[in-house]
Parts: sequence; structure tokens; C-alpha cells
Amino acid sequence: MSQKILKIFSILLVVFTLFSCTKESIDLNNLNETIIIRHKNADMPAYVHGNASEKVFLILLHGGPGGTGLQYRLNTIKNQLEENNVVVYFDQRGSGNSQGNYSESDVSVDLMAEDVLALTKVLKAKYGSESRFFLMGHSWGGTLGPATLLKDQSDFMGWINVDGSHDPKGVYDRYRNNFTNVANEQIALENSVSYWNNVLSLVQNVSSDYNDDDFFKMNRESNKAHEILTQDLGLNQENTDVDNGFTYNFFTISWNTTKIQSILIEKGLFKDVSYTNQLSNITIPSLILWGKHDMNVPLSYAYEAYNNLGSNDKELVIFEKSTHSPMFSEPNLFANKVIDFINQHK
Amino acid sequence: MSIKQYGVILLLIASVNLKAQTQTNNSSFLDRTEFKVGYFGNLLWDNGLNFGAEYLWKEKIKIKERKRGEKTITHQLLFNGSMGYSTNFSNKTDNGLSTYLGLIYRRTNLKGRQLSLEINPLGYYRSFLPETYEVKGGNVSKVRFPGRSYYAPSIAIGFGKFRKAKKRSGSYFNLRYTIRTPYNAGALPILSLEYGYRFNFKTKK
Repeated sequence: MSQKILKIFSILLVVFTLFSCTKESIDLNNLNETIIIRHKNADMPAYVHGNASEKVFLILLHGGPGGTGLQYRLNTIKNQLEENNVVVYFDQRGSGNSQGNYSESDVSVDLMAEDVLALTKVLKAKYGSESRFFLMGHSWGGTLGPATLLKDQSDFMGWINVDGSHDPKGVYDRYRNNFTNVANEQIALENSVSYWNNVLSLVQNVSSDYNDDDFFKMNRESNKAHEILTQDLGLNQENTDVDNGFTYNFFTISWNTTKIQSILIEKGLFKDVSYTNQLSNITIPSLILWGKHDMNVPLSYAYEAYNNLGSNDKELVIFEKSTHSPMFSEPNLFANKVIDFINQHK
Repeated sequence: MSIKQYGVILLLIASVNLKAQTQTNNSSFLDRTEFKVGYFGNLLWDNGLNFGAEYLWKEKIKIKERKRGEKTITHQLLFNGSMGYSTNFSNKTDNGLSTYLGLIYRRTNLKGRQLSLEINPLGYYRSFLPETYEVKGGNVSKVRFPGRSYYAPSIAIGFGKFRKAKKRSGSYFNLRYTIRTPYNAGALPILSLEYGYRFNFKTKK
């Protein structure tokens, strides 16, 4: 009998050992690694993929707050950007598969910006101090990006803002203005008139001062508006239909998203945080990529970012057939612009 | 006291408790114990194996007279100890070992159908992380044995089938709800499934 038990345990031990002792060799031309950044009581995954022959790293800051790094690893980001340079998909604090043990009072945009700087330190330590970095932020990543660069931009060769808000504090008022303008334009064009009339009612009924409920009403409506605009104006559909659904446990990331969003909102993300007046201090080359019909972070942000960034070398590209995520709706143009920018400034 | 120390002490207390019972009832330990092994995970993302043991603590057999004959219902209280490893094969950042210690109430009817309710106040989860670097100030250092420890109590409801006088004495299907805490800035609820078989090494009488 005891031999049977011994046999079962031996088999389990062998299986466990096989799983735990797999070591992958590093191919710099096709890097495929996962490393964890431990910083201030958080363990945050960085999924490192692509061509590291020149040690040029594009760090991608996901949206949310509470998105995931690997949700962007598809389309031309995977097929073209990773061939040109390394792409680092980072699960931010409290997001994706990040874990740790810290208090709500520790969490802030500032701390999350320090996390990004910690990531660059780790990448330098692992891949060499000659490594060069570009920072790209999408949506909420466009808040975290400036927060990071304003702390320390010395390690970055360039900043790429994709439909990202440098001024979360202003989103509430811009929603109201943008919804009103777009609704009137679409009604004049006789596009989905009843829908846009409902949007006008919504905007007229929200409070003139910020409140969370009204903010999220308009935020949710922006997603619906994207669907309507895509249909009526013949915009490109967002191509995200890859088998990414098994990468993260849906329940875990949903829970994490709710938690980190509630903490940051409670701390005044949409009431107090704005980097508009400090954008002039960001002097590295900058590329601003925006969907023309973005209702989530309206186009006015793109012009404001372009006009206020302190860089002498900056470019604004507007994607005519896109809403909030041009990397998914116009992936080839997106990849071309990003690759050109990186190759020009690396 | 850190959560890690707390978890280790709880596990030690539990193992001493089981050991003490073994010593007082040495001859019948295997007669009172069933082992189990099976699937552990949530099918879509995390998949793994679970194994453990259930030690019969108390048992009450109720026999009711019915028109169609006697109805025998067995109520049992069992000490439960189990350990499960699960991983998400799509990434390397969701691996961990779960340990559960607690009590099971089990009702078995005449046909061998079982309903179990499980409460495991002593739970421990250890995550295993890939290559990890810690940044403190300007310094970067590689972490040895990266991962984190969490207190992870759980409850479960289960259905099963009992096979009388067989080495493979039954099967089970459990739905488990675990809380990992402290996790990030709060706690993380986890739903998992277990499906497997129980077996025993009872001496034939």
C-alpha cells in the first residue's frame, strides 16, 4: 500500500518538476519573455515580444484604468511592430495579472508612473544599459504616459499618444460639448436622428458639475455612439477577433478593473488630474495618433496635446476611419506611422 | 506577523491535529480516510490538478421507516485537507498552489448519492511567478523564488457518488469559492471547479 502512495507521489513530483524546469533560450531577434517588475509591493508582469537586435523597446501603456497589456498584442502591433522592435506589454498596478499587497492609500497616478520608470530600470538591467525606450499610451495610458515623462523623460527617445487623455479633469465638460456638437452634426445629416436626439436629452439632463454617475452615463454612451457612427459614416470596424479571450481570467481582470478604477476615481482622477499646463515640459519627439470620430477621448484633446507639447519634433496624425482605437480599425496606417517614428528617432 | 508566517503556523497546527488523531486511533486511520485526486480549475483559463484526503471524524446513520421500506441516510463530518495546482497555459503569470484545510459535511443517501458542504477556514495560496526583478530606489535585484503568499479561505458545495466496498470509493464534483487576501489593494474572489475520484486503502475485514 505504501508503495502505491510512493508511486503516486513520485509521478506527481516528476510532472511538477517537468513543468517547473522548462528554460527557454533567448533569441534576441525574436524575444518572447515574461518578466515581473516588483515595485512598492506590487508584482507587475511585462510581456516582452519582438525583435531586440537593436535593443529598441516600445513600452505600451494600456487603457482603463484596469485594462491589460496583452489585449494589444494583435493585428499589426504583433505582426509588424514586433518585427521592427521589441514591444513591452505591461500589466499596470492593479490591472491584468498584476498582484501584490498594498493599501488603497498607496495607489495614485504618481505611483503608477513610478512603476513605469521601474520597468525601464529592469529592462536596462536585464537587456543592457544601451537599451532605448519609446513610450506609447492609449486612452488612460495617455494620462499615465505624461505623468511618467514629467517625472523623468531622460530614458525615452519618443512619446506616442494614441487617443489618450492628458487632462482627465476636463473629460466631463468635453463629453458634454462633444456630444452636443456631434449630435447636431449627425441630425443635420439625417443620420440616426432619434438616437442623437436621445443623446442631446442625455447631455441636457446631466449635471453641469462633475459627478460620477453622469460621467459614467456619458462614458458608456460614447461606446454606443461609436457603433452608430461606424455604421452611419462607414467607418472601419475594430478588428479584435483573435483568440485573446483565454489569455486572462475574465473574472479576475473584471474584478481588478473595477477595483483600480474605483480607487483612482475616488482619489479624484476625473476631478483633479490634469497635465495640460505641464505638457510643455515634455520635450522628447512626440507622435499623436487620433481617431477622428473618437467620442471617448474627443479629438479636441489631440489638438491640445499637439499645441502644448514642448517637443520641437512632433506630429499629429488623424485617422479618418477610426473612433477610439485606430490600432484596431486602421492597423496598417497605424503600424506605418509608429514604425516610421521609431526608426526616425531611435 | 506576516501572512506567510500566519499560514505556516496554521498548517502546522492542522497537521499536528491530524497526527494526534492518528496516534489515538492508529489502527483505523486508513479505514477512516479517503484520498482524492482530480481536475482543478475553471476550464476556460486556469487548469490543474488537485489531490487531498478526507478523514472521517463523526458519522451518524439515520434509518427511517417508509412505506416502501427503510430509508438510510448517512451524515458525516470529515476533516478535509487538499492541495491543488493550477495554471493558465496562455501566460506565465497565473500559476499557483492552493491549500485547503477544514471540515466537510456530507449527506449520503441509500443510492450512494452525496451532497457535500465544505468550509475551509485555513486556506493558503502561493503564486509562482516567472523571472522577477525588484526595484528599490535606483537598485534592481533579481528575486529568488518569486511569488506571493495569500490567506485563502474557501467554501464549496459538491455532489458525488459513493461506491460501497470499492477501492475507488466515489466521485465528486465541487464548486468552490475562494477569497485571496490581501490581494492588491483588497481581496480577489476566485471561482473554481473540482472533478475527481476518491479512493481508499481500507483493510478488508
